[in-house]
Amino acid sequence: MRFVSALAFLAYTVTASSALPAGNAADFEGQVRPLLKEHCWECHDSKKQKGGLRLDSLKAMVAGGENGPAIEVGNAARSHLIERVSSQNEDERMPPKGRALSEAEIRLLQAWIDSGAAWPAEATAAQPVGDPRSSHWSVQPIKQDWPDGTSIDTFIGRALSGAGLNWSPEADRRTIIRRLSFDLLGLPPEPERVDAFLNDSRADAYARLVDEFLSSPRYGERWARHWLDIAHYADTHGFERDQLRPNAWRYRDYVIKAFNEDKPYNTFLRQQIAGDVFEPGNPEAQIATGFLAAGPWDFVGHVETKSEQLRRAARAGDLDDMVTQVMTAATAITINCARCHDHKLDPISQEEYYRLCAVFAGVKRGERDIDPAATKRIEELRKRIEGELKSVRGEAAALSGEPLDLADMVGGGDGRGTGVRGRGIHPRTGNLVTDKIGFHPDIMTNRLQKPASQSGPQNVLPLVQAVFVPDGSKPLPVASKREVQGVPTTSGNAWDAVRNGPLNGQVSTKINEINYAVAPHSILGLHANAGVTFDLQQIRESSGLRVFQLRLVVGFGASQAAANTRADFSVYVDTDQVFQRLKLKKSDFAEVEVTIPEKASTLTFIATDGGDGIGSDLLFLGDARLHPAEAKQSLADADKQRLRELQRRMSALQTERNQLPVVERVYSVTSDPLPPPMHVYHRGNAEDPRQQVTPGTVAWAGKAGTDFGSEQTEEGERRRRLAEWITGDKNPLTARVMVNRLWHHHFGQGLVRTPSDFGLGGDVPSHPELVDWLAESLRKEGWSLKSVHRLILNSRAYKQGSDSRERGVAVDAQNRFCWRQNPRRLDAESIHDAVLFASGKLNLAMGGPGYRDFKYTEAYAPIYEYTTPSTPELWRRSIYRFVVRTTPHRFMTTLDCPDPANLTPVRAQTTTALQALTLINNPFMLEQSGHLAARVEEGAASAEEAVQRAFRLCLARSASESEVAAAVALSRAHGMRELCRMLFNTNEFSYVD
Amino acid sequence: MSTKDKRDTAIHRMDEMGSASRRAFLSQLGGGFGATALAALLQREAGAEGAAMRPGAGHHAAKARAVIQIFCPGGLSHVDTWDYKPELAKRQGTPFDTDGNVQFFASKPGNFQGSYWPFRQHGQSGKWMSDLFPNLSMHVDKMAFIHSMQSKSALHGPAMFMANSGFILPGFPSMGAWVTYGLGSENENLPAFVVLPDTRGLPPGGVINWGAGFLPAVHQGTILETDAIRPPIADLFPAGVMDAQTGEREKAGRAFMQSLNRAHAAPRSANTELEARIAAYELAARLQLSAPEVADLRNESAHIKSRYQLDDADTGPFGRQCLLARRLVERGVRFVQIYCGAENTTAKKIRPNWDSHEDLVRDHGYWGAVLDRGASALLADLDARGLLESTLVICTTEFGRQPASQGGKGRDHNPGAFTAWMAGGGVRGGVSYGSTDAFGFKAEKNPAHSYELHATALHLLGLDHEKLSFYHNGIQRRLTDVHGRVLHSLLA
Repeated sequence: MRFVSALAFLAYTVTASSALPAGNAADFEGQVRPLLKEHCWECHDSKKQKGGLRLDSLKAMVAGGENGPAIEVGNAARSHLIERVSSQNEDERMPPKGRALSEAEIRLLQAWIDSGAAWPAEATAAQPVGDPRSSHWSVQPIKQDWPDGTSIDTFIGRALSGAGLNWSPEADRRTIIRRLSFDLLGLPPEPERVDAFLNDSRADAYARLVDEFLSSPRYGERWARHWLDIAHYADTHGFERDQLRPNAWRYRDYVIKAFNEDKPYNTFLRQQIAGDVFEPGNPEAQIATGFLAAGPWDFVGHVETKSEQLRRAARAGDLDDMVTQVMTAATAITINCARCHDHKLDPISQEEYYRLCAVFAGVKRGERDIDPAATKRIEELRKRIEGELKSVRGEAAALSGEPLDLADMVGGGDGRGTGVRGRGIHPRTGNLVTDKIGFHPDIMTNRLQKPASQSGPQNVLPLVQAVFVPDGSKPLPVASKREVQGVPTTSGNAWDAVRNGPLNGQVSTKINEINYAVAPHSILGLHANAGVTFDLQQIRESSGLRVFQLRLVVGFGASQAAANTRADFSVYVDTDQVFQRLKLKKSDFAEVEVTIPEKASTLTFIATDGGDGIGSDLLFLGDARLHPAEAKQSLADADKQRLRELQRRMSALQTERNQLPVVERVYSVTSDPLPPPMHVYHRGNAEDPRQQVTPGTVAWAGKAGTDFGSEQTEEGERRRRLAEWITGDKNPLTARVMVNRLWHHHFGQGLVRTPSDFGLGGDVPSHPELVDWLAESLRKEGWSLKSVHRLILNSRAYKQGSDSRERGVAVDAQNRFCWRQNPRRLDAESIHDAVLFASGKLNLAMGGPGYRDFKYTEAYAPIYEYTTPSTPELWRRSIYRFVVRTTPHRFMTTLDCPDPANLTPVRAQTTTALQALTLINNPFMLEQSGHLAARVEEGAASAEEAVQRAFRLCLARSASESEVAAAVALSRAHGMRELCRMLFNTNEFSYVD
Repeated sequence: MSTKDKRDTAIHRMDEMGSASRRAFLSQLGGGFGATALAALLQREAGAEGAAMRPGAGHHAAKARAVIQIFCPGGLSHVDTWDYKPELAKRQGTPFDTDGNVQFFASKPGNFQGSYWPFRQHGQSGKWMSDLFPNLSMHVDKMAFIHSMQSKSALHGPAMFMANSGFILPGFPSMGAWVTYGLGSENENLPAFVVLPDTRGLPPGGVINWGAGFLPAVHQGTILETDAIRPPIADLFPAGVMDAQTGEREKAGRAFMQSLNRAHAAPRSANTELEARIAAYELAARLQLSAPEVADLRNESAHIKSRYQLDDADTGPFGRQCLLARRLVERGVRFVQIYCGAENTTAKKIRPNWDSHEDLVRDHGYWGAVLDRGASALLADLDARGLLESTLVICTTEFGRQPASQGGKGRDHNPGAFTAWMAGGGVRGGVSYGSTDAFGFKAEKNPAHSYELHATALHLLGLDHEKLSFYHNGIQRRLTDVHGRVLHSLLA
């Protein structure tokens, strides 16, 4: 992609022209006027005259204000204006707020005054009539009438002969198939396909090859890469807390599919900008809006910070990213240049920029369901299944008499063994804990603590309402507005947690010779001082039972040595004390059996320390269970039959629930139907909002209406109108921009070499008519991109050889006339994929979540550590790589893979020593060299044959005799792997003619 | 044919070609290829085509030829270090925000909190500095302070990007990238822009802090591993092999490859990229020798090793970074960035960088000692070797900390004020620019941003920050955006 250096050249010349001496009328328009407007007119114009001074006309400047004339024409040194803007005294310097003028800006003003302060009459108008910028080529209507038989070669040929240049001869077939394969598929051609093409004598052999490649699924994978470059797509948020976007990939797959299906380009754009509005029922259209969210997003600025000001700044940046991406990708308007002031080169006002912001003012990045109707269906189904499950379970439990285990509920279960054994609830924080915990000296007593999870949702244990540490000093609230009396006075200290299982330090798990630690028994550990309250309503909800019989046995888990320690145990149903045993000692135990009526809402167990401190107060409850009061003692045959039916139904329902489809989501945008008002931000500062704006767009580009409604217009409608404006007949940019992108990727440089800037600062088209002819063809062919590919690929221009010719270099070294095809270097993705292709390890699995060739560590700022891809799931095409923003992939970045923070219409290309090191030493390259060696050696009759295979896989050609000899010698001396490693490093591997 | 001969041949051949392709070739190699020859060629071109900026040529005579930038990520507290605010101690414990309207990044302001370390005057200039830096304070007469620094963001990521690239968004070239884009390298055997991250991990924002943004990737910073176990540069050698590949296998393999390359290039002689890529493999081979050499500290004297406290478990790693920086600059590397602190790491005992929200004495106490020892050793060492006058040393952070307390022992982020300092490389010592209000809450006199710091540093390197530009998506981009003033009062 040598054109990149050409681009850089362009940049230098632009700099050179902007350094012209100031002073003529053109400079007034382009430089002086914007400067005065930005820095002076806020206080010195027709609306406001600080110090009685106006600076918005030459007359007013000379007339001056309270301090006399502002300028003396022809003498900057005696001009008060210059004195004030260049003052070192903070109190005197103008402008009083904001930054001081730079030295260059002051020099500009001086030069302008010294050269006569020319102020062209028409320039005083805000938007001069007949602005020459409105006749800029890119915003003119596309020419539609062309003579019959017009083709790409008509335009190229005409320009060539005009410049006295000739076509280059057509490239040989091996060169053509390799070029075409990399261009369309991003992969080398199969050696067999090369042979078949070389031997295909049909007249249309080449056209057939073009069609064949265009219909390959590899085509979409290749061309999606180009689109994702200008969407700056990645799979993480970026910025400091660079979190994962696990569902971003659906958008990437959408782009691949759109190219493969040749989705009309206008539909492609409409879906990406407002698919949810155009086609609310079409999942694909929801996924397409992932485009709007593809760029970076700052979690800290949007969510984490408590500062509203920082949030506003982050949001302004977010909107800028969205507006810029949409407008540069679709229309190559550099809208971002109008964020802080009017566009310096194109006639785009700052207000227009904020009107475009207003289009997206109700749009935020986030996960969205790809099919809301399906989500609703799934949720309804789930509700029905769970409802039936509950009633079936209730009936079965009533029949069978199977009790609900309260310890299991402490472990997070439903009472039927689904809880986590051994897990407890921390009495201070309510956190779920698996570790053993010791003495708690300082817990706030009598305070209910809801079970909580350090990370997850709030309602982690729905059946357990609270835990607490009682001190008996006052009535204890076991639930809101419910206090219980009669809790013994305690030390207020506590030990360990309330557990589904033995406590920390528990010695004995037996009561009355039954070991409750062994199934089918259970232990609810409740060391004094602690209490736990169960939510009976929730238990009824989840179990389907109504009336319970509570049965349990309470005992001591302490050692014999603790024979004298005492503890108390109390049970409350709502506020009624239904059981209390004081001063229980090691050798005691007590059985509890209580009927719990249907209307009761809480059940509370309290262990207290017996007045002698908490030492050894290891109380635990054996088989604390709620038995269905309705249960029959023995079942009749009919009941047994029914129970079996219920159990079958239960398992069928459970299976059904487990097989419910997952709700599919995509990282895209969420919409606020009535967006907040949008203002012009003075100098781009979100803290300085000025006039309110309505949604709309740039008037310069085309003749279509630019109003998208009012402040009241719904969010979706705004985007719909923008999408219509972009893809409408009256917008000449959209089609021009896209055909130029296609040309760019087929020739290595565009007809316009700034594919995302069609403004006055961008490149001038080498063949303006050809741009129009291609754009018109795209529209005529129903916006089929493949039809434009066909036109380009079947042209004589494309099929030319890339050899340099003296005359061409002399006249047109940059090949803007297209007197030959441009030789090009493969990009990072193509090199990566071509290596895997040659080694035989390329995994062609399409779609789905990206492959992660890194180790991920969750942290405040997540850590991504790349690993060597040594397994088939990591050998997929690079389009499926999980792209991390803050931690670029070193191998890919070294090979010029761009930073996904940037919109990249043209990839830069460098040649560096680090690239050489990477390709020659990176473990990926070494491993794949080994795989290629094994592949070519397997079944090869001779070293010569293996060498030939390696050449054909890497270079799509056979080796010459001398190459074979050298290669065989190398492989004999140092192994076939060494040969393969070196073939991967040749220039020929990385370059396409 | 020796490498030099080959390069001369290549350049000679370019002279016979059109200027555009010659320029293309040169601009690609600008970062690491025969800078002297390059500069001469490029200046010739520049003369022919006007004053436009080209890689490899400065705009005016330079005072400094290299930069060592020490970056203290997390937010270094200016009020506890460089910016003396006695008023804070007088108001100790009284409410900072009596109206209750102020909201910091993560908290509401607590009470006024004076410096945790006493301040004293130092040197001939009588510059105030806190006792956190007993060694650095001996160098005040070499240092120029900017006390009125401000950032446009109070978030680590964006503020880091601003400090490094002038923009709060990712995707813009860092200062090191701009400098190498403008000046190239003086040593073709080492990368022009080298980064020495903290051994605990990368700073907030990660490696894109030294990215090339939209500039060609050749200008991005190259990480030099600062521990002694791994090869100094990734992929310098085939996995598991530590020494340069002088073996038969490597030699034979490369000879085979380059013979194929030359045969391939012969009929494509106009494509200079092919020659460049052949040369890149020769450069890579030289890098395999020069990179281990620069990282090998065995020949440094015992005096130097103790000056940098290489054996100290806490201050040693940063000392090693500083010593490596000196060795790199000594060998012609243009821009070295050292990180004094990390972020993407799970270290728990202290904060992994200067971000002292909950215990400033603990964290600044730790990092202060680290910075004090390493940076003072670096200044003394550069000075002793006569390198300081041509090496610009910059020390900065992404923002400062609040004059009010956070949670009793910490301080929250303060983008309204912080301090940066420079030394050497044409900087006048013992001077200050700008000042903050009585509390160090906001820059008051002559507020400055990264733009001023960058403009001044570029100026010292012979570059005009308004001319050093690159076209990207519609805009001639600059390190200083549309801002920036050279702070002439800080220049010698």
